Amino acid sequence: MKNRTIARYEGTLKVTGQARYEGEMMPEGLLHAALVESPIACGELQSLDTSRAATLSGFATLVTHEDAASLKPSAATALIREKAIHFHGQPVALVAATTLSEAREAAKATQASIAARTALTQMGQALDQAYEPAMVGRFPASTRRGDSAKALSEAGLVVRRRYTTAVNNHHPMEPHAVVCWWEGNKVVVHTCTQAIFATRAIIAHAFEMPPVDIRVLSRYLGGGFGCKGQLWWPWMFWAMLASRKTNRPVRLELTRAQMFILVGRRQETAQDIALGFVDGRLTAIEHDVVAQTSTHAEFSDSTAVYTRFLYACPNVTTRHSLVRTNEPQPVPMRAPGTAPGTFALESAMDEAAELLGVDPLELRLDNFADRDQENGRPWSSNSLRECYRVGAERFGWAERRARSATKVGRWKIGFGMATTLYPAIRQACRARVALRADGSLLVQCGTQDMGSGTYTALGQIAADALGVPMDKITVELGDTELPDGPFSGGSQVTASIFPAVEAATAKLRAALASIATTDATSPLGGKPPEDLEFADGMIRSRSGNAGERLTDVLARAAADGLEAEGESPATDHQKLAATGMGYGAIFVEIGVDPELGEIRVRRVCGAFAAGHILNPLLAKSQYIGGLIGGIGMALHEQTATDAATGSILGKSFTDYLIPVHADMPAFDIAMIDEDDPHLPGGVKGIGMLGTAGIQAAIANAVYDAIGKRIRKLPIRIEDCL
Amino acid sequence: MSSASFNYIRAAELTDALARGERAGAAYLAGGTDLLPLWKASLTAPQEVIDISHLPLATITRSGDALTIGATARLSDIAAHPEVKAHYPLVCDGILASASGQVRNVATMGGNLLQRTRCPYFRDAGLACNKRDPGSGCGTRHGENRHAVLFGGSPGCVATHPSDLAVALAALDARIVVSSASGERELALSELYPLPGETTAPDSSLRPGEMITVIRMLNAARFANHATYLKIRDRASFEFAVVSVAAALRIADGAIAEARLAAGGVAPLPWRLEKSEAALIGRAPTEHAFAEAGALAIEGARPLEGNAFKIPLLRNAVIRALQTAGGQS
Repeated sequence: MKNRTIARYEGTLKVTGQARYEGEMMPEGLLHAALVESPIACGELQSLDTSRAATLSGFATLVTHEDAASLKPSAATALIREKAIHFHGQPVALVAATTLSEAREAAKATQASIAARTALTQMGQALDQAYEPAMVGRFPASTRRGDSAKALSEAGLVVRRRYTTAVNNHHPMEPHAVVCWWEGNKVVVHTCTQAIFATRAIIAHAFEMPPVDIRVLSRYLGGGFGCKGQLWWPWMFWAMLASRKTNRPVRLELTRAQMFILVGRRQETAQDIALGFVDGRLTAIEHDVVAQTSTHAEFSDSTAVYTRFLYACPNVTTRHSLVRTNEPQPVPMRAPGTAPGTFALESAMDEAAELLGVDPLELRLDNFADRDQENGRPWSSNSLRECYRVGAERFGWAERRARSATKVGRWKIGFGMATTLYPAIRQACRARVALRADGSLLVQCGTQDMGSGTYTALGQIAADALGVPMDKITVELGDTELPDGPFSGGSQVTASIFPAVEAATAKLRAALASIATTDATSPLGGKPPEDLEFADGMIRSRSGNAGERLTDVLARAAADGLEAEGESPATDHQKLAATGMGYGAIFVEIGVDPELGEIRVRRVCGAFAAGHILNPLLAKSQYIGGLIGGIGMALHEQTATDAATGSILGKSFTDYLIPVHADMPAFDIAMIDEDDPHLPGGVKGIGMLGTAGIQAAIANAVYDAIGKRIRKLPIRIEDCL
Repeated sequence: MSSASFNYIRAAELTDALARGERAGAAYLAGGTDLLPLWKASLTAPQEVIDISHLPLATITRSGDALTIGATARLSDIAAHPEVKAHYPLVCDGILASASGQVRNVATMGGNLLQRTRCPYFRDAGLACNKRDPGSGCGTRHGENRHAVLFGGSPGCVATHPSDLAVALAALDARIVVSSASGERELALSELYPLPGETTAPDSSLRPGEMITVIRMLNAARFANHATYLKIRDRASFEFAVVSVAAALRIADGAIAEARLAAGGVAPLPWRLEKSEAALIGRAPTEHAFAEAGALAIEGARPLEGNAFKIPLLRNAVIRALQTAGGQS
């Protein structure tokens, strides 16, 4: 398989405004919708006074829990079918009107009468009510190998610390939107989702419709990061009910403020870590996580899960527990679990290195896990040590002792490093390829492109397999009329589509080879099929000076072109011979102004090993984007709840800080290509890797610079003074 | 028509604007960088918006010792003005530390001085705020108050003034000319900003219909060689100050002849540090003198639960600003 840089397939469409995002659909007769929000955080809706709203100009309809009673009960419909108020800002109704301002006006004029109950608005108020969830994602919530308590009691050094991380919000540039309409018993739903087929399935369930009558489209996404998923469904359902009620298309788009409340968050955590060492080797790890979930749904990140894998250690105990609060519901957010989890583990490792008097990098190498000790399996491939070596060399880690705590202008310099990791898994996928008579190729798969490059990757895989130039490729995705593709999450899309497209293109290659080699008039007639290669729009003989254009082959025997479908299964976790994991080593140089508390990241080197890299340009963009998100989590992002009201404070980009251009360090990205025989095409996901590890690397660098150990995120001015 | 609708009037001339400005529900529009977000968030609902951006109020002139800046001069134009750069670098520093390049290209001098607080309780119509809704209470005092004041707060309001430029101007003893249909009056910039009361917290002392038309500094060029604006924030750009300090010194014969210090992010208005100023007079610009000024700067600070870190931060910022200003040639 080739490794090559191709510019974005859809780049021109996006920068020229030709890419139509789903929220931009403006069908004839469109109504605009707005949400009526609860002003309190806990209680029960008694009544809605719509008498004034209904008289306002443009008012079309109001949809409430009463309308949603027609939907089948499920976790996805509970919030809109029931009268319970679980959090401040929870919508209690949707209003549709002729224009957006009329809809907002009518929503404002709708009075909700709510019987209030005492709200629990902060996790810290109820740590004693923590409970253990059944699972954290696909992993058990609690695990135990060996006897960590005993090992800790016998350890030569024990590091026992608490680390905390704040609530973050995803905030893709494109807010959630839906434009939907009914055609008789059928419905068309244009919406921002990371999972069109799951969205179709939940609509089928809620509305009790056959999936074939539902079309969901999500052809371009302005980012997702995990929030364009199930928490959006209730509000999308209300828009669909409004459309059915009025028999007109309805459009709902969330405001930026609503993006802080309605579509998920990275949960806050309090993590207790204990590391036990004997002679510099880990003999015990305990990692206990308490995290927030809402009163209406349950979610736990896999925060301590990666502690089960990263280091060689015979005695490991991990636990997750949750506290329910009247705050918005958390969902996975980029690098779910691994970002907060590695912050704790990799900070604690740094603290241990300091106490043991060894270099933090050495300590990690000394405790490298050469197999998956949790599952008792080998790694499918593991180049973490190479990441450490390459990253350290490029970054100049060896100069750490000489450089740290030196001053550049007002900045005290600090070096820090940490590890990142994320599992390599796949979902089931189908893909279709159609070679047309003119030699152009259509590639179709019902997955989505979050903006991360799926169009390009899909086109590139097919182009390389059939030797068709990229400018002759058309890629279609984001439509449930296409073959079922994976949801966009968990860094799985490229790894999932690869084998499906390979299977489809292999069929086409076989068919084309058969046409050419069995035709005596072809220059390739009589050649063995394995002698053929597909390149430059031709089929060529590898052994001799013979070849034929794809268009000529098609013209003779398949004037309408050729089409094939391929499919590939999901990772079967029960039958794995080897554990797939991607890794990275993050090195950072920061400056801290110790008198003024300001922190700036100056340089970041990330060395990543994540299987075979299809497109280094896209991969580099992904890694840098991930690292920037990680810098935001480390130094800027924090969603605060007002304890008295349960209201989220500062629901705008003025108050919710993310890194801006002036905060950007110099990035150096190293990619260590792995040959992984266990994974199709050797492809591992990369999307999450950049977003974890860097938080601990930054905290470790702050310690290196000013000798203050910060065990909370984000690290702010007040922490460094 | 929606309650958020308003009449947009492009004022033909200043007298026309001032006459309209006196009516209830009127609001002046210049750059709109604060008015528009406030309107979009339903925090203000003017019935008539009077656009003054094109009125001839944007001139910048230096005459003798006086610098006069028209109220609708764009921030980026002021910061790029050769005379301002040469003689009033503190004004440029204050502007360039503000907002983003795009915002500075449209925001005006007068609007900058009248921008409303960034306190998140003020900016959310669902929360208690005496400044927005007199008598509704203050959510900040016992809520999230990292951003709140150290000085000049009241039980009714602990919101800070967000302008960087106002801090720089306060240090230079700027005066403003305020016009209305009935005439003009001139006041010190500090008189523009009242302290909050028990249940009210007006942003300014302007009367209905009054408009800032001119900002004036007399004899402020004497600080040109020893002035700096220091802004401390959580990210490198496009954020309001956590704490800021404007420092201006006149050093003669190796001693500080005059000192001006104002702090931002710590009070409902640019907070002049008069005790620190007084302690510097006649002293050599040494670390010792600066440290003493820093210690005096935080006298009387009244922290809340979440903002006590601003006390050492302000002290350190004063010292750093004095080091920078005092070290210039």
